[in-house]
Amino acid sequence: MSLGGAEAAVAARSTPSRTRRRPDPLFALGVAIVAVAVLLALIGPEIAPYDPTQATLFYNEPPPPLAEWPGLLRATLAGELPQPPHWFGTDASGFDVFSRVIAAPRIDLAIALAANVLSLGVGVLLGLVAGYYTNWATALLMRASDVMQSFPVFISAMILVALAGRATGNIVLALCLLYTPIYIRLTRAEVLTQRKRGFVEAARAMGSTELRCALVHVLPNSLAPALIQSSVTIGFAILLTAGLSFVGAGVRPPTPEWGLMISTGANQIILGEWWPSVFPGIAISLTVFGFAVLGNALERRYDGN
Amino acid sequence: MTGTEPVLEARGLSVSYPGAPVLRGLNLAVRRREIVGLMGDAASGKSTAALALMGLARAPGTIDAGEVLFDGRNLLALPEAELRAIRGRDLAIVVQNPRAALNPMTRVGRQIAAVWRAHREGTGGEAAARAVEMLRRVGINDPERRASAFAHELSGGMAQRALIAMALAAEPRLLIADEPTSGLDVTIQAQVLDDLARSVAEAGTAALIVTQDLGVVANYCDRVAVLHDGVIVEDRPVADFFRAPEHPYSREVLRLQRAATGARLAPADTVTEETLVEVRGLSKAFPIRGSDKVVQAVDGADLIVRRGETLGLVGESGSGKTTVGRTLLRLEAPTAGEVRFRGEDVTAARGGALRALRRSMQIVFQDPYDSVNPRWTVERIVAEPLALHTRLSAAARRARAAELLEMVGLSPDLLGRRPRGLGSGALQRIAIARALAAEPEFLVLDEPTSVLAPTAVNGLIELLRRLQAELGLAYLFISHDLTTVKFLCHRVAVMYLGEIVELGSVRQVFERPAHPYAQSLLAAHLEPDPVQRGRPRTPLEGEIPSPVDLPTGCRLASRCPHAEPACAAARQALTPMPDGRLVRCRRVAEGEISAEEVAA
Amino acid sequence: MLRRYVLRRLFAAALQLLALTVAVFFLIRLLPADPVSRFVGLNASAEAYAQAERNLGLDRPLLVQLGQYLGVLPGAGPGLLQGDLGTSWVTGSPVLDEIAHTLPRTLELVTLSFVVAFLIAAPVGMLGALRPGGTADRGVFVYSLFAGSQPEFWWGLLFVYVFFFSLGWAPAPLGVLSPMTSAPEPVTGFMLIDSLLAGRPEVFVEALHHYALPVLTLVFILSGPIIKMVRQNMARALESDFVLYARCAGLPGGAIARAAFRAAMAPSMTLIGILYGFMLGGAVLVESVFSLGGLGQYAIRSILAFDYPAIQGVVLVITAVSLLVYLALDLIHAAIDPRVSYA
Repeated sequence: MSLGGAEAAVAARSTPSRTRRRPDPLFALGVAIVAVAVLLALIGPEIAPYDPTQATLFYNEPPPPLAEWPGLLRATLAGELPQPPHWFGTDASGFDVFSRVIAAPRIDLAIALAANVLSLGVGVLLGLVAGYYTNWATALLMRASDVMQSFPVFISAMILVALAGRATGNIVLALCLLYTPIYIRLTRAEVLTQRKRGFVEAARAMGSTELRCALVHVLPNSLAPALIQSSVTIGFAILLTAGLSFVGAGVRPPTPEWGLMISTGANQIILGEWWPSVFPGIAISLTVFGFAVLGNALERRYDGN
Repeated sequence: MTGTEPVLEARGLSVSYPGAPVLRGLNLAVRRREIVGLMGDAASGKSTAALALMGLARAPGTIDAGEVLFDGRNLLALPEAELRAIRGRDLAIVVQNPRAALNPMTRVGRQIAAVWRAHREGTGGEAAARAVEMLRRVGINDPERRASAFAHELSGGMAQRALIAMALAAEPRLLIADEPTSGLDVTIQAQVLDDLARSVAEAGTAALIVTQDLGVVANYCDRVAVLHDGVIVEDRPVADFFRAPEHPYSREVLRLQRAATGARLAPADTVTEETLVEVRGLSKAFPIRGSDKVVQAVDGADLIVRRGETLGLVGESGSGKTTVGRTLLRLEAPTAGEVRFRGEDVTAARGGALRALRRSMQIVFQDPYDSVNPRWTVERIVAEPLALHTRLSAAARRARAAELLEMVGLSPDLLGRRPRGLGSGALQRIAIARALAAEPEFLVLDEPTSVLAPTAVNGLIELLRRLQAELGLAYLFISHDLTTVKFLCHRVAVMYLGEIVELGSVRQVFERPAHPYAQSLLAAHLEPDPVQRGRPRTPLEGEIPSPVDLPTGCRLASRCPHAEPACAAARQALTPMPDGRLVRCRRVAEGEISAEEVAA
Repeated sequence: MLRRYVLRRLFAAALQLLALTVAVFFLIRLLPADPVSRFVGLNASAEAYAQAERNLGLDRPLLVQLGQYLGVLPGAGPGLLQGDLGTSWVTGSPVLDEIAHTLPRTLELVTLSFVVAFLIAAPVGMLGALRPGGTADRGVFVYSLFAGSQPEFWWGLLFVYVFFFSLGWAPAPLGVLSPMTSAPEPVTGFMLIDSLLAGRPEVFVEALHHYALPVLTLVFILSGPIIKMVRQNMARALESDFVLYARCAGLPGGAIARAAFRAAMAPSMTLIGILYGFMLGGAVLVESVFSLGGLGQYAIRSILAFDYPAIQGVVLVITAVSLLVYLALDLIHAAIDPRVSYA
């Protein structure tokens, strides 16, 4: 008997499109930036030349001119200098800006990651449940999500943190409260679609229980939008933490945190002392950009599937 | 009279997508008053060819080489401004998905008028009048009302006709129709194609119909060109092509059709006496959100399937045939009625009993891409029933999966692959292998061939026959493609708007349909045999009504040419006829209308 | 049909607002913050503390407090349902008045920024879609990703440094008007309108001058998502079947571009609504940097001071404005796109 049809069909589509993915410079950039941020989060405070929470004796020292940097670097590595240079200068309280800038990712990333992981976990599970059951409880859940999403994120976060006490844990919880509805909504939408897929019905038809279908077929196929959103969410969590600290509703001084640093340096900027605010700003700017780029690259990859 | 000078001629046309050539030197000519059919497999590049003939390529494709001669000029060498003038005015195209091709935000009449005004001189009023005129000419009733409708308010058939109107508005010399009726119901398809052919003949236009459907080619085309592997491999008059195809690929395409005259292609001789599946009074109603009304998808279906038998279930959209298949397997909960499998009550079974029953009754779906989990390997997909129902070790499951793949004609090398990159024919076979893993006795096949290319369809039908002979399976074969039904089914039931209107052997129903709807359906069916051309049809008027507000009497009454006031009064019952079949029509049962002769 | 839809939406919005207000009411009272100590000082005597607590109404049971706030307690004064938002614990002025003074400033800022951002970003996004994959398109795309991920408060400061300190082009970030200028009669609350109504165009110009930097900051941030969205929707529209078909039919390029634009704008409306709501809250930080005296600054002050009535008032008003904006944009969407029905 002729296999003609089947063989031809298989052969025609077997072009290995997998190997043809064009190199994506944007993806590489995103990965690089995020990698640096994670690295600093892990070892930043340890490799900082000064203790980020201890004031030095030098106030408002401007950073050394760029031309001098190579020479200073060589001298530092050779151990010729009595004290490490203040690469980014010092601020009004005498803190070394460079040390604080590279020590800050630890707290910013820790908060952002913790908040994201928690929201993701809770959001995906609730989204799965909401996608399967349509009763008053899930309707209420979705309504509540709606209401929370119609309210400005920053002000809610401020209220939660300021009134619960400015502890790191509270910041994480506040962020969780804000981001979980997003994940619930994303996952639920995907679950509603995936539930109707042919292979899920086939599994039901072959005698699989609904629970097994949900866990084995629907859930793994519904995770993608939430995971892709994660990268962007982590970036925004960092922005939010920094913003909260900027207005005084975030981490407490003297914790090194980018937003806090920008805030304390804000008064000086009008006087022309730009370095306490600008360097942490550049750091935030690049880091969140890195996460956004990564998230976008992941999104494009997934779309191509 | 066909002119000898071609209206359009393509020479050496080559089109490629990044990294993959699609057309490799296409040569094709279309003459005046001629209708040419362009046939080919799914990925052959037919649509690409259609667009390329107008000098267009869908991004990211590019036209690499060749020329398209129109009026002696090479279109591909013309500047865009001149090309634009030719497009729409001299060359027009009708594409596959009509509602997507129409602008969703502008009224249909205005779009047609815009095309006309882009190419002919005239005022807005003249353009609007012309639009209405064109809609009338393509067979749309009440054209003034349709002209002020938006695209999403039109049904598939209406939208396709509107598109044809738009294409013909500026009186082109060549009309290209790319799968103009895919996705349309059989009776609507017949109407649309008749209207198309008539409009083309009246205007003296040449036409190129791109299609996979042999029936369309056989009944409407003068010549057929076969596209395979990027080139035209055969280009002959239709009658010659069907009688004696030359190229191996053409022979492959026509394999089932050509063997039809022999006795070889009757369904397998496997029918036994044992009743396997018994359905009584099955009904399913779907509630409509935000209202009290329901969609009565199935209304009191009765049928029987014996071991080794294939029962066909045919009908158009809204007939309820898919719902019957799904409800049989408890994928939907029936609103009324019962289903018995080997005497056991399927509708009331719970828990472990239902699971056991589910092993014996399996289903294969219409969309092979959707039927498999894209993240799983083929092995895991095929072995899923084994993992659920047996305690086989991983190695044993793997061995069995390999066996199953071979049974459906695939190589066990596929076990480690993911579905991505596999063709629809292969995926459908994998779905069948998975269904067989549970060792079922009864298989529901829900339109398993409707998305497959002709060669894959042939292979699948043969596979199903073989499996039935080897394993003694019973099938419920749901399809709208009457050709495949003829090859595979012993008996067939015709459904309309949730009711079975005729049930009998394939021979009875297909050769001498009794019920007016069955007659119309079979008459509308395009037999892939040019000898049948020109057969008079009795098409039903109008569109299929919505299954929401169903009339109380005979559901066909609004469209039936034999309707009488008494028909609409009471619900018709399924009555046995002398020859053993069942017909749901009072007038037929009382012998007032006789079965028309439909040539085999 | 339309009227019923609007009424239904307004009714739903009112319910949502009420639910949110009650939720926030309980939320802030259940959090551990202690507003009483904030007013009375940490070293106050027990009687002073108890007295302060009584003054603020915090000694009563929660439900009684809620009733009082809503104005449903018999005998007690008017409350929310009568249009009274209470009195600020910090200033003693009615919250409604304070919000009425500060809200227009924020609305002015956000609306101005949105209009400018849209006028600049939308054409850029469209151009990117018309030449997809080109260097300009990729550059614009990277820019949009960058701009949409920036801390607005830092950029505001940066602009202050560059344009005020270094270049002297912009005025000092001390508010909408220079401290020396007397404000015109507040008719609408919108400085730009009021200055014109009062016949003082020089104040109008000065206000614009002061708005320049904060608007620039917000426009910079907004341009990111707007460009991305316009480009994506436009590209999708240009690649859609009906555009291809229009080309097949030989329609003139201008008509096709206009049809694609319209198809791209419809889905953008929802996103604009979301962005606007987002900006209402996001303008908080920009307002602080530039001391504009808007609702955002008022919110910060109230939250840090634990001024419960003010906090509740702010939450209520911002949500109400957001919901109205969503409704307006949904209506525009339905007007543009005939596929959307008033469901």
